[in-house]
Amino acid sequence: MGRLLKLREAHKTDAPATCSVLWAHDGSHLATSCASDTEVLIHDLSAPPPGRSGSNAGSSPVVLRHHKEGVTAIALGPMAGPLASGSFDHSVKLYNFPVGSFQGNVTRFTLPIKSLAFNKSGSLLAAAGDDDGIKLISTIDLTISRVLKGHRGSVTGLSFDPKHDYLASIDSFGTVIYWELSTGKQLHTLKSIAPNYNSDSSVLNTLSWRPDGEMLAVPGLRNDVVMYDRDTGEKLFNLRGDHEKSVCSFCWSPNGKYLATSGLDKQVLIWDVDLKQDIERQKFEERICGLSWKPVGNSLAVIDVVGRFGIWDNPVPVSMKSPTEGVVLNEPHPLFEDEDEEVLGKGISCYSGSLDDSIEKGSGDFSPISRKRVKKRGPSFDEGEEVLQEIDSRKRRKESENKRGDGGIRERAVRMQDAFQVGFTPPQQGKRRFLCYNLLGCVTSLENDGFSHVEVDFHDTGRGPRVPSMTDYFGFTMAALNEKGCVLANPCKGEKNMSTLMYRPFGSWANNSEWSMRFELEEVKVVALGKNWVAAVTSHNFLRIFTESGLQMHILSVNGPVVAAAGSGDLLAVVNHASDCLSSGDQVLEIKVFNINEATQTISGRLPLTPCSHLTWLGFSEDGRLGSFDSKGNLRVYSDQFGGSWLPVFSADKARKSEDENYWIVGFNATKLFCIVCKSPESYPSVMPKPVLTILEFSSPLASSDLGADEVENEFMMTNLQLSEIRKKIKDMEAFGLDVTALDDEAFSLEVKLDRCILKLIASCCHSDRLVRATELARLLSTQKSLKGAITIVTASKLPILQEKFSTILEERMLDDLKTPEPIPTGRSNGKTAYSVQPPVRLSPMMEKSPDLNNRTPNTIKPQIKSSPATETLKLVKARSSTPENLAQGEDISKERELGSKLEKLATFVKGKGNATSEVTGKDVSSSATGNVKPELKIPINPFARVKKVT
Amino acid sequence: MAGQTDHSISIFSAAEVEFIAEDEMIEIVPNIRMNALNLLCGDFGPFLPQIPCTVPLWLAVALKKRGKCSIRTPDWMSVEKLTQVLEAERESPREFQPLPFHYVEISRLLLDHAHDDIPEVYMVRSLIEDIRNVRFHKVESGLETISGRTHAVKLKNLSAMEVNLVRPFMARVLQAFYKHDSPEMVQQADTSASKRPQVVDRGPRRDLRPR
Repeated sequence: MGRLLKLREAHKTDAPATCSVLWAHDGSHLATSCASDTEVLIHDLSAPPPGRSGSNAGSSPVVLRHHKEGVTAIALGPMAGPLASGSFDHSVKLYNFPVGSFQGNVTRFTLPIKSLAFNKSGSLLAAAGDDDGIKLISTIDLTISRVLKGHRGSVTGLSFDPKHDYLASIDSFGTVIYWELSTGKQLHTLKSIAPNYNSDSSVLNTLSWRPDGEMLAVPGLRNDVVMYDRDTGEKLFNLRGDHEKSVCSFCWSPNGKYLATSGLDKQVLIWDVDLKQDIERQKFEERICGLSWKPVGNSLAVIDVVGRFGIWDNPVPVSMKSPTEGVVLNEPHPLFEDEDEEVLGKGISCYSGSLDDSIEKGSGDFSPISRKRVKKRGPSFDEGEEVLQEIDSRKRRKESENKRGDGGIRERAVRMQDAFQVGFTPPQQGKRRFLCYNLLGCVTSLENDGFSHVEVDFHDTGRGPRVPSMTDYFGFTMAALNEKGCVLANPCKGEKNMSTLMYRPFGSWANNSEWSMRFELEEVKVVALGKNWVAAVTSHNFLRIFTESGLQMHILSVNGPVVAAAGSGDLLAVVNHASDCLSSGDQVLEIKVFNINEATQTISGRLPLTPCSHLTWLGFSEDGRLGSFDSKGNLRVYSDQFGGSWLPVFSADKARKSEDENYWIVGFNATKLFCIVCKSPESYPSVMPKPVLTILEFSSPLASSDLGADEVENEFMMTNLQLSEIRKKIKDMEAFGLDVTALDDEAFSLEVKLDRCILKLIASCCHSDRLVRATELARLLSTQKSLKGAITIVTASKLPILQEKFSTILEERMLDDLKTPEPIPTGRSNGKTAYSVQPPVRLSPMMEKSPDLNNRTPNTIKPQIKSSPATETLKLVKARSSTPENLAQGEDISKERELGSKLEKLATFVKGKGNATSEVTGKDVSSSATGNVKPELKIPINPFARVKKVT
Repeated sequence: MAGQTDHSISIFSAAEVEFIAEDEMIEIVPNIRMNALNLLCGDFGPFLPQIPCTVPLWLAVALKKRGKCSIRTPDWMSVEKLTQVLEAERESPREFQPLPFHYVEISRLLLDHAHDDIPEVYMVRSLIEDIRNVRFHKVESGLETISGRTHAVKLKNLSAMEVNLVRPFMARVLQAFYKHDSPEMVQQADTSASKRPQVVDRGPRRDLRPR
């Protein structure tokens, strides 16, 4: 039918508005609505002869005037089921159909409703719109059974999977979400696959399952309709043809063989989906915004944006198969309201339904019906075919699940996780994505037809080299980046496209220093980059190491399939699978760290993960510590303590402020984690706008203790960890005979910090009456000053027992120091060797204390005083003055002022005691002890420091 | 804001108010690595690329001008927040919505210097203009209600620029009303403030005053 279709006015509108049209299941009635009209009309088409239903000008439609504002969506339940309408007035109403009597209000929203959908059995109604969340309403008792939240824009299209497993929804940004109906979870989120109409409310995105539920049709970005797989959400194929503008509406023929699409170009096309070709078309004066196939027979109802509707007879040429051929009609039955029973019921009702249908309209459509009848005569054949299809689809689903990899593991971690490149984001159609993102910069790629554009950007625009963008014909999917260059690699795609590794140095004196390697029958899985070397781990479990200029230096074997690799400086870390997953779903991973320069292996062992999680990040911090991050949001850092172990230092669950935050880690340093916060449902950052790093503090997974000072305890743990790291480094550097003054300073300030922390803990111990713990803590204090601070604390909290204990500790400490005065002068002569000189007699490494010596010696060894730097004394003053301030949050500062005088009294007390006990050791001791304590307490700077703190 | 008040008699000029507003803090995302700046007004930084930090507006603008950072638009400057505020302003004719004290100046500075960092910049600009107009209209209509019995006017959430515009007028109006209300004050004013001719010319007003 090539002529222009005549349209009849149903709704009056001033401006173009979205209208909808629906067929009754027996084809006798037609319901129409319009977004600028408050009425819903039910047109009775049975009165005039069925052949000419398009021109029934005589019968007046049933008018439903229940909405206060324009009706934006209508939906029809199965077979004589209720008619639902949603409107700008925020309400959803139900009517009897086709009578048109009002049944009731279903629900109210706070914002306009944009779309409605019934499931196949009619037991559920989904409604959504500008509100946050899709409401699933049980039609039996009109209760809200679930609210699905996840869309950012207004939801404009909903479609229930005919098999009742999923619900698909689309929003005005063009994002499609597959929801699992049984759990309400999001299975797949396909971002921006449809046109973005967020700024244009006159066009609503829509989507629709094929009646057999095997694929989902979504309008595409290139004036096409794209089909997505039922289970995996993967793109299957698209229907692209003569639409000159985006497709705005479509409808599947009842048998799923044909698809009617209408575009913004005012055309309606009929497609043969199997052939992926358009078979018929019609142009209209206005844009068609609603389409509906007649459930029985070969007709299509259309409605345009000005509210005029019409019926297009025989849109599918009579010579072709009828659009209703092979339809399984679902007869509603009160018994079959339950979903499980419904499946059973389908089988029974299908034949009676189709028979009814063919009898009913035997005279109307001649040729298609007769053929259909012939087909229907052999039900066994049809059944068999269906079963075959079913098996086929299951098989495909299995396959695709295997292919899925990353996403699959998240649901049930029974598979070994795939290799991944650190800092990459998965590809998204038509969008730039990260091949690599680290603290230094990023490598991004945008795929265009057949090739992509790769860009390298440094975060620090002041210092990083400017790198020209490049066109990439290989299809690189992984990259690694450091200051000197970047390495790119692609997996092999078929036989023609071999896996390639390419290195681009950023600054080189030679012209052509870019190089690439090709791998035959081998595939690069991950790449890493370090100081003057490039590493790639391949599918053959080879670790290949190249120099910066492309020389093939080493080829090592890795123990199992690689998972990830990271490089920094001379160190390369490689994680691989040690065995198949455990039955509990835990990944069994193994890690090795190589020093490429020295050709040694520094760390080797299992990589711990949180149960049922997988590795998502691996990397080195700036100071060369190794860390791993898993999908449950736990960061572990490798430490030499206890012969090399992984310490959990961060947990996303604890740090998370709101439920919908995902942390995408970028890096870490000694005390902090750098990450990009992604709002759910996204778990990856997008390239534009430029992501901003968030800094999160480390926190140990501490048990909740009776102290009620979790933060301080956490700080205590972290400072201890830091201190041990620094001590180790100092030791290492001293072994090489390097200068460690800077590190010494750092260690000292850490010790002071630790002492402050311990003092706070002592205060809270005093509060909660944990005296033994307080004494233990006091023993951990590293400087005598802090110990004296501790004594003031216990004095203030009126605990004489503790005061005595602490004084004893202080005495012991002083005595110890006096017993070993010999090495001090040598240690003094060059301050940095103080550590090697210190005898390791302390209870724990935390008790080692050189700064104490620094602080004490000025009295005894006058000539060397100059060598103790002024900064250090300043620090001491600070530490001194800040200890009382930080005693405890609850304590009164004004009280602390009094403590100054108390301290002095105490000192005399200590002095007295010291004298009493040290008489045995000799006068020398006591005199030095007094000389020690007194001047310190009277340090003239102290009041100034105090004043400074107050201001 | 239309020139209802003569700017020359304002206590501060617009530029001066803007200068004061430049001390407000704002978040920036630097794209350079720089050590902390130790300034008289405080220490800012250290600046690490892509890691947000908080600095005074003047510093943010200075860095932005050199292309060293991008400024993060404050929460209240998003289109949705501003739309809400505008609606609320229109709905409640007697109240002002809480906005930053220097919202006019901050938004002006950001729109001038960091327009590429503001999402939907045109929308934001027009919304802020609308809000300003609506609010000033409120101030104007509020001024009309001032009568001889008004001793004080309570204006909650009024912003710096708005206050600055109406303050001289308002103070003088109240003063004038006060003077006219109390005869002693009028006599005093006679001697002290004889510059004002309208105060001197009080013959007819005398008749009107006793009610």
